[in-house]
Amino acid sequence: MTDERGPDSINASRVQPERLEPLDPVLQALDPDRGRPEDVVCSQRLTLSFGPKTILSDVDISFRRGTITALIGPTGSGKSTFLRTINRMNDKVVGFRRAGDVTFDEQSIWSTHHDVLTLRRRIGMLFQRPNPFPMSIRDNVVAGVKAHRIAKGKQLDVVAEQRLREVGLWDAVKDRLGDSPFRLSGGQQQLLCLARALAVGPEVLLLDEPTSALDPVSTEYIEALLATLVPALTLIIVTHNLAQARRVSHQTMFFYEGALIEHGDTEELFTHPKQADTERYVSGRMG
Amino acid sequence: MAVSVRKPDMRRRTIAGLLFRVGTYLALLLVVGPALWVLIGVVVRAVPHWQWSVLTTPTKGTTGGLENAIIGTLILMFGVLIIAGSTGVMAGIYLSELAKPRRNGKPSGGLFRTASDVLSGFPSIVLGYCGYVALVVGLGWGFSLLPALIILSIMVVPYIAKSTESALRQVPNNYREGAAALGMSKGYSLRKVVLRSAIPGIVTGLLLALAIACGETAPLIYTASFTDAIPSASLIHSQGFAYLTYPVFTFYNQPAPEAHYLAYDAALLLVIIVLILLVSSRLIVARTQRHSESQGR
Repeated sequence: MTDERGPDSINASRVQPERLEPLDPVLQALDPDRGRPEDVVCSQRLTLSFGPKTILSDVDISFRRGTITALIGPTGSGKSTFLRTINRMNDKVVGFRRAGDVTFDEQSIWSTHHDVLTLRRRIGMLFQRPNPFPMSIRDNVVAGVKAHRIAKGKQLDVVAEQRLREVGLWDAVKDRLGDSPFRLSGGQQQLLCLARALAVGPEVLLLDEPTSALDPVSTEYIEALLATLVPALTLIIVTHNLAQARRVSHQTMFFYEGALIEHGDTEELFTHPKQADTERYVSGRMG
Repeated sequence: MAVSVRKPDMRRRTIAGLLFRVGTYLALLLVVGPALWVLIGVVVRAVPHWQWSVLTTPTKGTTGGLENAIIGTLILMFGVLIIAGSTGVMAGIYLSELAKPRRNGKPSGGLFRTASDVLSGFPSIVLGYCGYVALVVGLGWGFSLLPALIILSIMVVPYIAKSTESALRQVPNNYREGAAALGMSKGYSLRKVVLRSAIPGIVTGLLLALAIACGETAPLIYTASFTDAIPSASLIHSQGFAYLTYPVFTFYNQPAPEAHYLAYDAALLLVIIVLILLVSSRLIVARTQRHSESQGR
C-alpha cells in the first residue's frame, strides 16, 4: 500500500483532525509523515513494576510508522502492561513505577511536551471487551470528537456516518442511530468502539486482544479491517492468538517472563526463531 | 406433584425447597401486607370526610384546613433537595471517584465515611434538640424555616452520599477506561459517561432522602415548632413554621373529631406526596436508562 492520500474515507479520516492540530503546520500541509522519524514510538531501557513486583525489565524497542506490530507471549509476560504504558493508562494505577522512558515523536510521553489528554487522542486504544458507552450509537461514535471539540452540531452527524462507513457498520445501524449500542452483537459493538477510536483521528492505535471475545467471523472481518488502516496509522496489537499475529502483523515481539526475548519481521520470527523460548512458544510447545 | 419419593434424599430436598419457598412468600407478605394496610387505613379514614377546602384554608387551632402545612412541607422538601441533594451527591462523587485509594488498594476517605455513618446513626430527635440549642436559641433564630432545613439536611446527607457512592461504584470500570483512553478528562468522563449510568441509584437515593425528610416530625418540632400562619419569605424569626407531620402527630390526641379528620387528611396528603415521588423517580430512571446495558439485553 502506498502513502498517497486518496479520496477514500480512511485517508480522509487521517487528514481532517490533523488540520486542527496546531503542531508543525508546514509539515502538515505537505505529507504529514514527511520529515518525521521512521519510528513513531520507542521505549528506552523501560522497566515497569507494580509495588515490589517487576512486570517488565529493560525493554529497548521501537515501532515503525505505518506498520502493524504484534506483541505475543504467555499470560503474565508483561505485554499488556507494556501496551497500556504507551498511552499512560498505568499512570494512576496504585503502586505503578517505571524506569527508563517511552518516546512518541521523539519526545518522552511523560514530558510536558505531551499533555496526557492530547496524547491519548493521538494514541487511541481498543480493549479486549467491547465497551460502548451507555448512550446512543451515534453519540458513541462522536463521544471523543465532542470531548476534544473536533466538530460540533450538524458536523457530528457527518463524522458519525463517515466513521461508521469506515468500519463497515453503517448499513447495519443507519436506521437505528438513536438506539442503545447494547442491542448490537459483540462483533458489531467492537466495530463501534473502533469507529469511536478512529473518530478522534489517532496516529497510533493500541489493540489489547481486540478479538479474543469475538466469534471467528467477526474476528476475520476485524483483521481485514485492520490491514486497511495502515500505513495511515501505526497499529500495536497484543494477541494470544498466534495465527492472528502471523496473519495481520509486519513485525512481532515476543515477551516472556517480563523480558522482551526476541523481535523481528513476523514471518522470520515464526519460521526461524533465534531463541529457544521463542521457538517453544511459536511452535505451541509452551503457553 | 410428580415428585419421586423413592430416595429419602430426594424427599428431604423437596421438603427443604418447599419450606424455603414458603419462607420467601411469608417474607413477601410481611412487606406487602403492612404497606397495603397503612395505605388502605389512611384512605378509608380520610376520604369519607374529605373536603377540598382543606387545601385552601390554613389551620385555626385544631380546625380549619392544611394550606399552611402543605406549603410548608413542599418548601422543606425543595430546600432539602437543594441543600442536602447537592452536598450529598458531591460527597458521594468524592468518595467514589476522587478520594485517592490507599497504598494497599482499599478505598480511602475513611474519616469521612465514619463521620457519615455516625451521623446517620444519630436519633433524629437528638439532632433536633441540637438544632434547638444551637440555632433556635443559641443563634437566636427562633422557630423558623432555616434551622429546620439545616437539621433535616444534616439528617439525610449521609443517605444521599452513601447511595450516590454505591451507585457510582456499580458503574462498570470499562466505561471509565474507555473514556480515559479516548482522552477525556476525569471531570468530562464523569459528567458525560459515568454519571449517566449511575443516575437510577442517585435518584433513588434522593427520593428516599426526600421521603424521609417529609415524614420527619421530631427534629421539626424542636426547630420549626408549628404555626397557623402561611409560610412567609423569611428564613428566620418567623415564630414557627408549618408542616404536614405536625397535625398527624398532635391532632390525633385532641378530643374533637374535626382534629382527627385533619390528622387523617394530613396523613393522606403525605402518602400522596410519597407516591408522586416514587412515580416521578421511575419516570426519570426510565427516561435516562434507555441506552443502558441492562435495557439493551
